[in-house]
Amino acid sequence: MITVTHYLMLSAILFAIGTLGVLTRKNAIVVFMCIEVMLNAVNLTFIALSRHVGNLDGQIFVFFVMTVAAAEAAVGLALLIAFYRNKETLDVDDFNMLKW
Amino acid sequence: MNQESLQSLLPQILLALGSTAILLGGAWVRNRRLWLLVGALVAIVAALVAAFVEPPQIDILGMYSASAYARFCTVLWSLTVAATLVISCRYVDIFRFGGGEYASLMLFAAAGMSLLSAATSFVGLFLGLEVLTLALYILIAFRHGDTRGAEAGMKYLVFGAVATAFLAFAIALIYTATGTFNLQAAAVGLQAGDGLRPLGLAGWALLLVAVGFKISLVPFHLWTPDVYQGAPAPVSGLLATAAKGAVLAAFLPLLVMSGEGIADIKAILWLLAIATMLVGTFAALPQTNIKRMLAYSSVVHMGYLMIALIVAGADGSRALLFYLVVYSLATFGAFGIITTFADENGEIQDYDDLRGLAALHPRRSALLAVFLLSLTGIPPLAGFFAKFGLFQAAFRGGYAELAVIGVIASVISVYYYVRPVIALYAPESASVCRDVAARSETLLLVGCAAVIVILGVYPTPLLSLVALIIP
Repeated sequence: MITVTHYLMLSAILFAIGTLGVLTRKNAIVVFMCIEVMLNAVNLTFIALSRHVGNLDGQIFVFFVMTVAAAEAAVGLALLIAFYRNKETLDVDDFNMLKW
Repeated sequence: MNQESLQSLLPQILLALGSTAILLGGAWVRNRRLWLLVGALVAIVAALVAAFVEPPQIDILGMYSASAYARFCTVLWSLTVAATLVISCRYVDIFRFGGGEYASLMLFAAAGMSLLSAATSFVGLFLGLEVLTLALYILIAFRHGDTRGAEAGMKYLVFGAVATAFLAFAIALIYTATGTFNLQAAAVGLQAGDGLRPLGLAGWALLLVAVGFKISLVPFHLWTPDVYQGAPAPVSGLLATAAKGAVLAAFLPLLVMSGEGIADIKAILWLLAIATMLVGTFAALPQTNIKRMLAYSSVVHMGYLMIALIVAGADGSRALLFYLVVYSLATFGAFGIITTFADENGEIQDYDDLRGLAALHPRRSALLAVFLLSLTGIPPLAGFFAKFGLFQAAFRGGYAELAVIGVIASVISVYYYVRPVIALYAPESASVCRDVAARSETLLLVGCAAVIVILGVYPTPLLSLVALIIP
């Protein structure tokens, strides 16, 4: 029997994987994919819980998260292109012009 | 959504619609100055509506409030954005920004900030914060072909997107623990000693991480100096003042409440405040770039403001709002001066470039000195009075240790604030004369300095206004 706890565990694991990816991956696009994984983990939590508590608020929130994620992806890819045009690389280690 | 709730949201609707109209209009009429001024006008109208039109409803669909406090915040952020647009007039010409896009994004940011500080539910909070952040991502990287700007934008984007994910997960956990999106109810729900409390506390901890990113508390401040340095100076000014103030303002009503759950949160805030004040101060000391120095200065000032947030109550709230206004004026002014010194070759940032500038540009140098000294807290200026009120509130609220650390941090801060002033008034003369400032820029900055001086000797009007609107 799959209960709400399983869903919560799964989304916590997904969120952790996403966070780990953001911290360790070098390519900015992959970092973005990891952030999407984090946001989808959040969506899973909301849907499972909303069903569990029997109130629709959580499912409505998922729509907001999806919209925000889409807007962020649009702006993010535009910025990635701007950065690539200037530096011809998307390696996070090359974000090094500004430092102490 | 009925007519009353629409009417109560009028200032925010004005900002959002005005922004859309400017975006569309800007595609036909390519006139930078026109759109900037239209944008400033829209922001001022929104501020006037928020200040003088009584809303028919206070609670809007359980998501936003139209209380006096929320309206005061709307006025503050709209005016900051209007001032930023006016001060950018010459700057956008120099760097050939698209005027319509720039003004429109600024207004979107204003709408986001005002929704954020008016939020009474997590849905409203999330949406307001994202509207603000999405507009800022673009504004930071607005300078076309500027590598530093693009890098600053990327850094803010990666940190900001992670903060968004943390915020969303935090809301999910708090929703799990309490079953509600309402901010007040969620904080009250935390007090019940049931089995879900650890989950709720984990949620609040994640929320603090997200907020820590947004207002750059130590240890989440690493993006701040890089982004401020790379972003266009007027945008850095907005980032340091209104964008941070709006986040703080959203949480002030929450921490005014008391209870077991809030006490746990305050214990973490206490640690963050101390770390922020100390690390920020010591990181600011070796800086030789005025934008980076101002970035660390904003980190330290966020630490001071955390003290007021922890003290809470009427005392803390009054000190916080007064401090926020005074700090915003001075920081906006300092970034404004950097904006007026910009020319085709870029902005003046290094202290070496500031050297001896006072002989060539005595008025603007004097203004910059006033703003920096107000941030230090030198007596006749408003910064002194604001700091005095804040530390006094901390003493009275039983947080003497925070006040003492704050006082030590402000004593050390004299060093890094006075360094650029000494460079300005150095005896040797500067190699290059900068452009003449536009009249609107000068008027605005003189106005800021005048308000700082007046509030320093006669703070009563602002204090009584603040006392009137605190939640």
